[in-house]
Amino acid sequence: MFHPTIWCDSDDYRADVEVVDPKKCLEESCKPKCVKPLLEYQACVKRVQGDESGHKHCTGQYFDYWQCVDKCVGPKLFAELK
Amino acid sequence: MVGGGVIQQILRRKLHSPSLATPVRSWLSSKKAHVEAGSSGVRAFALLGAGVTGLLSFSTVASADEAEHGLACPDYPWPHDGILSSYDHASIRRGHQVYQQVCASCHSMSLISYRDLVGVAYTEEEAKAMAAEIEVVDGPNDEGEMFTRPGKLSDRLPQPYANESAARFANGGAYPPDLSLITKARHNGQNYVFALLTGYRDPPAGISIREGLHYNPYFPGGAIAMPKMLNDEAVEYEDGVPATEAQMGKDVVSFLSWAAEPEMEERKLMGFKWIFLLSLALLQAAYYRRLKWSVLKSRKLVLDVVN
Repeated sequence: MFHPTIWCDSDDYRADVEVVDPKKCLEESCKPKCVKPLLEYQACVKRVQGDESGHKHCTGQYFDYWQCVDKCVGPKLFAELK
Repeated sequence: MVGGGVIQQILRRKLHSPSLATPVRSWLSSKKAHVEAGSSGVRAFALLGAGVTGLLSFSTVASADEAEHGLACPDYPWPHDGILSSYDHASIRRGHQVYQQVCASCHSMSLISYRDLVGVAYTEEEAKAMAAEIEVVDGPNDEGEMFTRPGKLSDRLPQPYANESAARFANGGAYPPDLSLITKARHNGQNYVFALLTGYRDPPAGISIREGLHYNPYFPGGAIAMPKMLNDEAVEYEDGVPATEAQMGKDVVSFLSWAAEPEMEERKLMGFKWIFLLSLALLQAAYYRRLKWSVLKSRKLVLDVVN
């Protein structure tokens, strides 16, 4: 599967454009790597949508997804910062 | 193990998370109740039942504890992490600016004085000028009265509230902690604070946070009183670095790391020097010991039998 490279650094050529937060940008670019937990989370959301009792929640799948994204973003983020 | 299972049952009921364990557990306990004293085979089965119950209880514990412990924060490659790495002092200077403009309205740093900043983030003149901007209560004077004067280098960083009660009252009952030691006062402090500040997100489906609190997955329990404070370009850096949320987070955590461990650079230098010297001393001591013991270790004992 081809993933286009997303540049998340804040170079001078983009000085006239408003600043892009590198963390948000990297989290977007890491999404393809974490498709499986994301789909699990979305499946959970569907299951929870119809719940009336208010006891069901998707914290587990949410944590799994964001842990995957964090692991991907962590080593790369500081290279984009001063 | 079964006792632990009971406790997890109570916890789970309190947190209202659904699980399949309840009907299975009651089925297993009823099975165990049927068999009383008897053969070892029955006892083995009872033990197996206890073990399975414990395992199933642990699975419910995992889902109940996840939000309680907060999402584990990743490890970021801090520039001051290495065995001989110093702080990024430009980052500390920017971080202090972020603290002053964003955080100081609620968080005190009462263990740091203006003079501590000299030579670390500011020159003496700059620090003096910064100190002079605040008003400090001093006294009593010759007439016995307290008076206010402009700040000096020896004064502590100003406190936003007079006391903890005032701080709680102004923040809906929550106390914004003093930040002087925060990176040492939290597990994996530097990574935790950075993840927390930059980690405000929409809550997962099924979780609702009450009015006045905000969702943050890294905060134990998930509901934090502090709103998202770092927003792009909230601060304009003197050195022209783009003030993105992540940049401000990195800088403010560098500043807080320095505030909690100002001795870090000297400690690393000392540690490197003395570990090296003591290794040499170890080699010398080992040689000297073996030299002295060689006399005994190379002696010969002769048994002479006289007929």
